[in-house]
Amino acid sequence: MFVHAVVCEDVWMIYKSLKSEKIALKGINLKIPKGKIFGLLGPNGAGKTTLISIMATILKQTRGRVEVLGLDSIRDAKEIRKRINIASGNPNLIWSLTVYENLRYYAMLYGVRDRRVVENLIDEFELREFRDVEFNRLSTGNKQKLLLARAFVNDPELVFLDEPTKGLDPPVAKRLREKIADMQKDLGISVVLTTHYMSEAEMLCERIAFINRGEIVANGSKEELKRMLKMKDKITIEIDAEISMQLPSLEGVYMVERDGKSLSFYVDSAERRLWDVASEVAKLGRIKNIVVREVDLEDVFNELVK
Amino acid sequence: MSLSNEVCKTLAFTYRNFIITKRNFFTIFETLFWPVLGLISVGLMGMYLNLEQGYFAFILIGAVTLSVLQVSQLDVAYVLLFDIWSKSLRYTFVSPISSWNMILGSWLFGITRGIVAFAILFFSSMIFFGLNLLIPPPFLILFLFGVFLSAMIIGLITCSLLLIFGYRAEIFAWTLSAIFMLVCGIYYPVSLLPEVVRFISYLIPLTHFLEYYRSFYGFETSFENPLLLGYVLALFQVLFLFFLYFWAFDRARSRGTITQFSE
Repeated sequence: MFVHAVVCEDVWMIYKSLKSEKIALKGINLKIPKGKIFGLLGPNGAGKTTLISIMATILKQTRGRVEVLGLDSIRDAKEIRKRINIASGNPNLIWSLTVYENLRYYAMLYGVRDRRVVENLIDEFELREFRDVEFNRLSTGNKQKLLLARAFVNDPELVFLDEPTKGLDPPVAKRLREKIADMQKDLGISVVLTTHYMSEAEMLCERIAFINRGEIVANGSKEELKRMLKMKDKITIEIDAEISMQLPSLEGVYMVERDGKSLSFYVDSAERRLWDVASEVAKLGRIKNIVVREVDLEDVFNELVK
Repeated sequence: MSLSNEVCKTLAFTYRNFIITKRNFFTIFETLFWPVLGLISVGLMGMYLNLEQGYFAFILIGAVTLSVLQVSQLDVAYVLLFDIWSKSLRYTFVSPISSWNMILGSWLFGITRGIVAFAILFFSSMIFFGLNLLIPPPFLILFLFGVFLSAMIIGLITCSLLLIFGYRAEIFAWTLSAIFMLVCGIYYPVSLLPEVVRFISYLIPLTHFLEYYRSFYGFETSFENPLLLGYVLALFQVLFLFFLYFWAFDRARSRGTITQFSE
């Protein structure tokens, strides 16, 4: 019995054309746990979609080995495809097919003949009133819901979600995130999610890997990642003057960001460092405002991609 | 591999092509309007030239065959294009289908459309020109099946080229049947062609299927058994093209073409 949903060992992807060669992945090593939501975060062009496409067997890696649900991604691709599915943030399905027809068509591709499966998904994803509406007439939110519903036609054990809330209005995106969380919980499936939104990863993912320029730069739980960077809290201080002077290095301060009249300090403990930091800043101008908060994934992400 | 599952996966493409055709006025036009228009034009030309019955049948058989081929090949040729145009290729290829599910399913619908087109053209030639193109039904079925295999050949070439060359190959969906028209002797006997081109025409199964149909109207064939030769060539070519398609798909998977088509 396999313990990981996906295992990547030294995975390289090199796109070759007549004129050039582009290295998209550089020796990725990654283990994605079973039965959890795993986040794959990174900036544009980092290699997230390439990696997820390899895991979903749509793309063949140039080098290395990928094991999905205990099966080899190249040798056992067809067997893997029966047990996985994918939904992307670019909501594209056959335009002239209705919600029902699209789901029925994709269900048939998995050998699912029972029409009740399709009807249940329509209800589950709140698409009943759009059942007979053609795909190109749906709103972006409903297109995305349909795409997500499509990813469950074969009752998969592992679902890849490639930026599933991209371009959606915040309330729609929130509802969709809740749906993803509920489905994962109810069905006990494994989910690999790529996203740009740190809040999304923070809300949904139990473990996260950061990918940048084709390499995994960090991998762990949210807390582990924050600890890894030793940043726990962020102190932001606003003063009444433009800041031009360099600050001396302070103990327990790992990073300083400057933005006009405010300075942000990433520290190991706000409780211990606030006095020292505030004293130094006071030398630059009169303090107008101090905000202390816990470091979030966005901060970790920004630090990692630097 | 369960047979009923494989049938279901294959019929998924038949179902999809049916819905797209049903909803697209242009594809209904392709099946009904253009073939009838082509037949009437060619028929009127034949009447103007005062062709005797046999030669009149010769050119009408050509017009009917060309239309049936064009109509039935579109479904196979478009099977990838429908996904490429709607940028949903990754969702089709992430499912556990084989390439043959895709080709066979779309071909089945192509056959249906081809039969409808043939029936319309058959009755049109009777109504407009008083010409009965009926030959003994078993032979007619064998002829039509040969034309449908030729349609599959064109479709397979188009799909493979799309996976190899990308969008640039889209034009093949329209041009290949026109090239067939030139080389296979749709409106003239292939004996008229220069020797090199004639050799190429003998390698194309459609040439032999056409000669077979026309042989019922007293025309000579280039080979003794054109039907058998046509089928042998068609089966070899279908087999070869399936391998080409598998190779093209594998190449597309390594080069990221499928993800590119989905973005």
